[in-house]
Amino acid sequence: MSQSYNRGLIEDFGRWKEFSAGMWAWIFHKFTGWMLIGYLFTHIAVLSTAIGAAAGDPAAIQQETDVYTTTIQGLESLFIIRVLEVGLLAVAVFHILNGLRLLMVDLGIGLSAQDKSFYASLVLTGIITIASVPTFMDGVTI
Amino acid sequence: MSTQQEQPQEPESQEAPEDPEMRGTESPQQERLKEKEQGLAQEEAVDESDLEGETVHLKVFRYDPEVEGKQEPRFDDFYVPFEKGMTVLDAVMYARDEFDSSLTFRHSCRQAVCGSDAFFVNGKQQLGCKTQISELKQPVRIEPLPHQEVVKDLVVDMDHFYDQMHAVEPYFQQEELPDGDLEEQRQSRENREKVKMSTRCIWCAACMSSCNIAAGDNEYLGPAAINKAYRFAMDEREDEEIKEHRLRIVEQEHGVWRCQTQFSCTEVCPKDIPLTEHIQELKREAVKKNLKFW
Amino acid sequence: MAEQYSSFSRGGTGWLLQRITAAFLIVVLAFHFFQLHFVNHAADVTFAGTQARMENVGYFLTMVLFLIAGAFHGLNGVYNALVNQGLEGTQKKVVLAVLSLAGIALIAQGIWVAVAMAGWT
Ligand code: HEM
Ligand code: SF4
Ligand code: FES
Repeated sequence: MSQSYNRGLIEDFGRWKEFSAGMWAWIFHKFTGWMLIGYLFTHIAVLSTAIGAAAGDPAAIQQETDVYTTTIQGLESLFIIRVLEVGLLAVAVFHILNGLRLLMVDLGIGLSAQDKSFYASLVLTGIITIASVPTFMDGVTI
Repeated sequence: MSTQQEQPQEPESQEAPEDPEMRGTESPQQERLKEKEQGLAQEEAVDESDLEGETVHLKVFRYDPEVEGKQEPRFDDFYVPFEKGMTVLDAVMYARDEFDSSLTFRHSCRQAVCGSDAFFVNGKQQLGCKTQISELKQPVRIEPLPHQEVVKDLVVDMDHFYDQMHAVEPYFQQEELPDGDLEEQRQSRENREKVKMSTRCIWCAACMSSCNIAAGDNEYLGPAAINKAYRFAMDEREDEEIKEHRLRIVEQEHGVWRCQTQFSCTEVCPKDIPLTEHIQELKREAVKKNLKFW
Repeated sequence: MAEQYSSFSRGGTGWLLQRITAAFLIVVLAFHFFQLHFVNHAADVTFAGTQARMENVGYFLTMVLFLIAGAFHGLNGVYNALVNQGLEGTQKKVVLAVLSLAGIALIAQGIWVAVAMAGWT
């Protein structure tokens, strides 16, 4: 918007302490959405090693030394990858739970509880993420 | 100083509903009133005597492109003696009348009816005349509405907001009139109930200013205009064709779809209009209409 | 304003599809995470194991649909976010074209990968 005196984006976001639940939900949903689409591209790129594996030596597949198997197992043996996976889970769980909240809002259900359902999404995301850490960290050391 | 009174509630209808069912049902309006009463009870609990005899510290935004010393935006401090029931508007009026007659802001009715004095008070869009000083943290920071061009001090350019309001054709449209000269265009009680909240808009632009989508997308109709469209689209006295026409206006790319349900408009509306709820209902109406045509 | 009587307005179709794909994604994404981190550990994934899953036509189709829905939902979401920030005119058209191409490329590559995994090449 044209402004003779523009207080600008910096000040908009400088006011983050005054943001309400709905605005935080929007920001987090956006952030998690962008992470997920970014991951989807990366994911397909990594899985593309399957094309090489399928075209390669069938014996390698038997011995689990094909590119696909070695790439994935190699990545999975890295501690940092496991940490990132937990992060991805948190991002996905929040996006799902808040996505459900948004779908409810779109259907006009429970509009007056929209702030509470956002806090619930946050808390549930935290719980589910923490509960999943043992499974995700299984068999890997720093 | 303040001529503030309890706002009279809009009369629900000419005569009180006799039907116990009508009275018994908790309309959204009644629920809101209840919530409000609880809110009021809490507000009254704030001890006003704390402030008795004190001065109120105001930090008021100053800017005037036409005056040399004011071209650089700044905040001026004013210390105003507190009086019971003092509103933000009362306080800035005192500052203007007693300290600096060049302090500029719009106001008229002083009772939340004309919609001229929406300010950005302590980081929130609020009507000056409807906001009690006793409820605010000091210093009270008073700025013009964000996302609108500042003309001078607290005065912002409302043209764009009015353009968006007019874009939804905010007037009753019905070609067919009932027979008989003196016949009225009656609305059913239920239908009146449905549009009631949406009719309360006072064009203050607080909602538009709070919406960060409206800030980014200049073409977005904005909550107030969509609510206006809702007010008429849901009015059963208009023909179906006109309703469709109205839906086509709000379902443009820069209409209802831009709403991201952040609820910021609903939270700032001084008339407690459930704006997000109305926008969402119009989205569903638009989808339904299009599915019908498919 | 474009007058459209018999088809969805652009904004409306996008909005509805965004929600429909969201509803689908909730189920499939939860299933996907569960399948590859809890039922089978991601660390134990082998080509043979992947192939055993992909050979199942139902699973294959679900994954392809998952990909299409995810790509549409994600890229349409990004597009919306940019329009919300006031993107317009030529820039908007360019962004739409780039995102569409990226989506088509992603889906094509993904389907190729899935076919290779299933061993149908
Ligand atoms: C699994 C269940 C999912 C649900 C319930 C869900 C729900 C939603 C909803 C309702 C929106 C629209 C928000 C709005 O317009 O106000 C949205 C936006 C978005 N979603 Fe999802 N989504 C899911 C999965 C995904 C996945 C798998 C991806 C990535 C591939 C993704 C990426 C995005 C992006 C990028 C946005 C746009 C964010 C923005 O506005 O910037 N979502 N999601
Ligand atoms: S909807 Fe509420 S906040 Fe918006 S202009 Fe009308 S009265 Fe003001
Ligand atoms: S002065 Fe009229 S609304 Fe405040």
